[in-house]
Amino acid sequence: MNRFDLLNKIQSILKDNLVICNIGLPSQELYKINDQPNFFYMLGSMGLSSSIGLGLALSQNKHVVSIDGDGSVLMNMNTLATIGNRAPSNYTLLIIDNGSYGSTGDQRTFTDEKTSLKDVALGAGCKNVVECSGEETVNALHKAIADKDNSYVIISKINSGNVKIDPIPLNPITIRDRFRKFIGKVKYL
Amino acid sequence: MKISKKIIDNLKKGGVDFYLSVPCKLLANMIDILENDKDVYYSAVPREEEGMGICAGAYLGNKFPCIMMQNTGIGNSVNAIVSLLQLYQMPVVFLISYRGTPGEPVGAQGGMAKITEDILQTLRIPILHCYSEKELDKISTFSKHAKVVESPVAILCDFNLMKDDT
Repeated sequence: MNRFDLLNKIQSILKDNLVICNIGLPSQELYKINDQPNFFYMLGSMGLSSSIGLGLALSQNKHVVSIDGDGSVLMNMNTLATIGNRAPSNYTLLIIDNGSYGSTGDQRTFTDEKTSLKDVALGAGCKNVVECSGEETVNALHKAIADKDNSYVIISKINSGNVKIDPIPLNPITIRDRFRKFIGKVKYL
Repeated sequence: MKISKKIIDNLKKGGVDFYLSVPCKLLANMIDILENDKDVYYSAVPREEEGMGICAGAYLGNKFPCIMMQNTGIGNSVNAIVSLLQLYQMPVVFLISYRGTPGEPVGAQGGMAKITEDILQTLRIPILHCYSEKELDKISTFSKHAKVVESPVAILCDFNLMKDDT
């Protein structure tokens, strides 16, 4: 199972939640699979999916799923400490860990060598950390969203590999405004 | 404490209700005030770039965010400012302790001080430079301006303004 397969498997869960999706291929693949106004596609700022989702979860009550990657979390590893100490129960961080920088040509990341993001997350203070296969991710995500008392970090271990795909044809203000409209914050659209 | 209280009062008057900080000695009183303020959200955050991301999410959730940091933090955040806050036109207030300005005892702070305003100007970020107490009255209007122009804005608080307040 690669990232595209996984996103296909979980898209029916994602469409009922607020989703912050990582820059590059993850966003492009999710857009192609099933574009929704409640999906915020990152067009820049690699590393910050988990942080944007955390700020959003702290600011309103709907459940937030941040879709991140191993390379991106390695770039912003302090995020796990902030999540461990501050994440509310309406927050789930889904790290799609394929051991490679998919959008830049599948160079290996350190999670393909010695680094365990599960161990890092636990050490950083995250309590509910689930490392699972791509197949098990559906159940893990269901459980995380259904649990109204705890936030979760899910590390989905999948294979590297990408599908050939086009850039997202939406401009950033469109992405922003339809997202904010979905959560009831923009009236004029 | 008087200066710090005036800054926070003016930010709140401008509508700012979500605060993060990466600490600085000059921000310590403001952090104390915010930690005891039940009306707004406040948290420390380990790194400024990460804070920019959290502020972006808070804005999407209809908060008006502010990140408090040293001017060195701007250097840590340039890509996040340009390819997140400015790309999606998100209003965020940067409340910056301007280390390395006259009165600063640590010489090493001078390097970032010399280029801080150049970086902000290159990024086309509006600046309110507070040299003395009288500029603090402009903070609420300046904060509201961030929402009107849908852009991050920067408030620079000089070393000499803050040093007697701590």
